[in-house]
Amino acid sequence: MEKTAQKVWNQAHQQANSGKRTVSIDPITRLEGHGKIEIFLNDQGNVDRAYLQIPELRGFEVFCQGRPSEDMPQLTSRICGVCPTAHHMASTKALDALYEVDCHPAGRKIRELVYNAFMLEDHALHVYVLGGPDFIVGPDAPKELRNIVGVIGKVGLDVGKKVISMRRRIREIINYAGGKVIHPVLGLPGGVAKGISPAELPKFKEIAKEGLEFAKFTLQVFHDIVLKNEAYVKLITSDAFTHKTYYMGMVDKNNKVNFYDGDLRVVTPEGKEFAKFPVRDYLEHIAEHVEPWSYIKFPFLKKVGWKGFTEGADSGIFAVAPMARLNAADGMATPEAQKAYEEYFKVLGGKPVHHTLANHWARVVEMIQAAERMVELLNDPEIVSGEFRTIPTKIPKIGVGAVEAPRGTLIHQYETDEKGLIKRANLIVATLNNSARIAMSVDKAAKGLIKEGVVNDGLLNMVEMAFRAYDPCFGCATHTLPGEMPMVVTLRDLKGEVIREIRR
Amino acid sequence: MTLQAKTLVLALGNDILGDDGVAFYAARLLRAEFPKSVVVVETGEAGLPLLDHLESYGRALILDAAATGKCPAGTILRWDREDFRRCVAPSQHSAGLPHILELAERLGLAFPTELQVVCMEVSDPTVFRETLTAEAKQALPAMAAAAREILTAWGCRE
Repeated sequence: MEKTAQKVWNQAHQQANSGKRTVSIDPITRLEGHGKIEIFLNDQGNVDRAYLQIPELRGFEVFCQGRPSEDMPQLTSRICGVCPTAHHMASTKALDALYEVDCHPAGRKIRELVYNAFMLEDHALHVYVLGGPDFIVGPDAPKELRNIVGVIGKVGLDVGKKVISMRRRIREIINYAGGKVIHPVLGLPGGVAKGISPAELPKFKEIAKEGLEFAKFTLQVFHDIVLKNEAYVKLITSDAFTHKTYYMGMVDKNNKVNFYDGDLRVVTPEGKEFAKFPVRDYLEHIAEHVEPWSYIKFPFLKKVGWKGFTEGADSGIFAVAPMARLNAADGMATPEAQKAYEEYFKVLGGKPVHHTLANHWARVVEMIQAAERMVELLNDPEIVSGEFRTIPTKIPKIGVGAVEAPRGTLIHQYETDEKGLIKRANLIVATLNNSARIAMSVDKAAKGLIKEGVVNDGLLNMVEMAFRAYDPCFGCATHTLPGEMPMVVTLRDLKGEVIREIRR
Repeated sequence: MTLQAKTLVLALGNDILGDDGVAFYAARLLRAEFPKSVVVVETGEAGLPLLDHLESYGRALILDAAATGKCPAGTILRWDREDFRRCVAPSQHSAGLPHILELAERLGLAFPTELQVVCMEVSDPTVFRETLTAEAKQALPAMAAAAREILTAWGCRE
């Protein structure tokens, strides 16, 4: 067992033995499989505590040690088969900082184009494929329809074909600039490896225009299917899916949402600016709490402190991802997205929005900004510049880089020795930033549904909805054939004995 | 030879997560054995990108690592398309293979009419490393043999 895990495990035992803690969890139950939920019932059959266990990949730091720093954008993009572009870009920006080089302006625009294309594609995937079952199909639909097939049934085959073809078209841009989607070779310290040929520009402009139309169409779908359904809106704003926490997101110099670059801004549960800092200072603002039941750490705001899994201004728990980004910014950076942003806050009762399920709507608002930014960048003459890299001249030492990944703030930090080989590497991935709020959401959903030992059949749907809105990243580990990441809910008594197990 | 007439071997996994990349090792053995009749693709992608890889081929053999927890590490598991039809549970993050297949069918995409899956059960694919465990190394010939048997039955000779 790892030293840290051993330490917290021992602490948990001490607490249990002193009578202060009533829950005992065998370490064997930690983080095995995917989406594993442990629910502990008290003597009355009500929920004492519910946990979502997220698998963590281990040994990354040791794996990186001794490798050339310039290999990191390729290496880190291989961590995850779902969001390689986010890791590649955060890593490339960490190399800029490491080599103390400003990215070439044209190179920056190419990076930003690729990154916005990725955001648009990834968000579209979530809206139609992953979150779609919750809203487009509906939370009460039979489980066999709560998937992409059910979504197609609701929106029609033509829309399904449009989603598939749009995704492919957007990926053409990523493939062209990045060499390939899964292991991109785009990012170099100071710029990019390849420019955009003027001959390709008309095609890319057409793709970006189609992308924008598609994003606006998606907003219309959201209006027609979700917002016109009173029951859905009631669900979004219900207490079961609401937590008043701090929010963090990246903003530009005008405090507008930016996915690629800017300072990190934190707002209070009342929506006031609490902190704004360059990414390199993140350790001054964010610390990590450890719990005995999980290898996953729980980041919190250092200046507020860890007060347990509680919400409000006295608790340092914060959220990232689309809803948090919109809360943390003063607006969107592009006009159509700004209109959608204003409507979003108007309907949901003003800033900040605390309803976890609003992430789905915020995601659609962000799709529009990503597409509009692609159009802007492709209309900028510098995007086809023949020069796109500033050659670094300094010896690397320490560098921090971050982007807003689809599922929240992603931070890479590297330290190198005198030869430029990696000594230390630390990643704070988006789902980790959200881990405390996700834990609270799962706990709240379980407590709301399980009463006096009776497990509501809607438990799985509702608990799934509670954490799926965050778009948590479980995709890094094995493919877990036959194709699904099975969700297992285990109900235990306070002695840890299994009362019931629900699988699907 | 058209893609429709060709057979695809699609190896899934992550080559920096130890045994999660075992399918790539098996795929490389098969690439050498069937250079003309089989297209071998290795990918770390998940979800909808699998559509791009599978489309237009007549037959596809998918190789992967699995962590069912129901059998010892190194066990070779086989599934076919019918097995996937019974698996409709929603995935928490990425669209799983069953959905990809169902989606392709609903959208009328040109998809493999014959599809088989060969997997190796692995014990811990969550630690970063570029090598296989002893169990996976030992079971690799059996994985390649299971794949070879399917390819041969499909008429792939060289």
